[in-house]
Amino acid sequence: MIDSGYALGVIAAMGLVTFGLRALPFVAAEWLKRHPMVPRLGRFLPLAIMTILLLHSIAGAASAHAAGPGPELLAAALVMLLQWWRRNALLSILTGTVVYVLSRNLGWL
Amino acid sequence: MMTNSTKSKLDPAGTRYSALALTAPVAMGYIPLGTVFGFLFVQAGGDGWLAVLASLFVFAGAAQYMMIPMIAAGSSAGTIALATLIVNLRHAFYGLSLLDRLPRAGWLRWYLVFGLTDETYSVLTTMPESTSLRQMAWVALLNHAWWVTGTAIGATIGARAQVPLAGLDFVLAALFAVLAVEQWRTRMSPAPLWIALAAYGVAYSLAPTHALVIAIVLSTAAGIVWQARSATAATEARDD
Repeated sequence: MIDSGYALGVIAAMGLVTFGLRALPFVAAEWLKRHPMVPRLGRFLPLAIMTILLLHSIAGAASAHAAGPGPELLAAALVMLLQWWRRNALLSILTGTVVYVLSRNLGWL
Repeated sequence: MMTNSTKSKLDPAGTRYSALALTAPVAMGYIPLGTVFGFLFVQAGGDGWLAVLASLFVFAGAAQYMMIPMIAAGSSAGTIALATLIVNLRHAFYGLSLLDRLPRAGWLRWYLVFGLTDETYSVLTTMPESTSLRQMAWVALLNHAWWVTGTAIGATIGARAQVPLAGLDFVLAALFAVLAVEQWRTRMSPAPLWIALAAYGVAYSLAPTHALVIAIVLSTAAGIVWQARSATAATEARDD
């Protein structure tokens, strides 16, 4: 069981960090506008970080079994193709996850 | 607290109706994905009310999914906060493009800022410039409600059934894949993606356990250099 007091602390910390990030441009607008690097990093970092997070969770999932990162890469590619084509986040996420869960549980590895 | 009283006096019910219509596609995603969050949280050994509380006060899908294995493993609150900072860093840039749309301080604006998820942001950017703060706040509130509702449903289901399926947490990787495609689509430049791929490859070969942080530092540095060069090129072009 997860301890409730500990979980409450985690939720509070996550809530503060998330709100802080979302509020930052509104409290530090003047400072941010003076730095031309900020909007440029805004164009660069979101895609770079998302790509890294995707790779990191693929690596994490692949380390849980002995078949290499094949199933993860395949399912991730499926999600990206579906999202590019249909632009329906729910469809992409559920299809990719179902294909991945099937491949892990039906002994396709 | 009304910043656009004439508009809300004209048609308060219509405001709610159009916000409802605008958030319907978000509901189609938030209710099932919130359900998966509530389900996975309870399956990992957390109480259902804590899952609902997380959706109520954090309201950030990817960070909440990421937190489940970390909280189950007993990671420190500081470690989870740092991971949240990395996963949600993109949100710090969303407000930049909304500064002029949300001019007045007040609790309604701060609630909107709190609710500035990827989906709320993308709905807000499709609304006309004249949209009132009140109407935008309705969009955030409804999206928030869909997310919490889904979480409550999932937590209830998760408390009743044990599902020993391996790999359900792939939903987080899938969510990252979707967000990467959407970022790619809006920037229309895949360079950050290739730089990130290379950075992660280098970081993973150096130290697999710290690959995440190393890769972010490397690609940020590469991004600054890459942009400094393109900015220099632009300045030179202007000077010519």
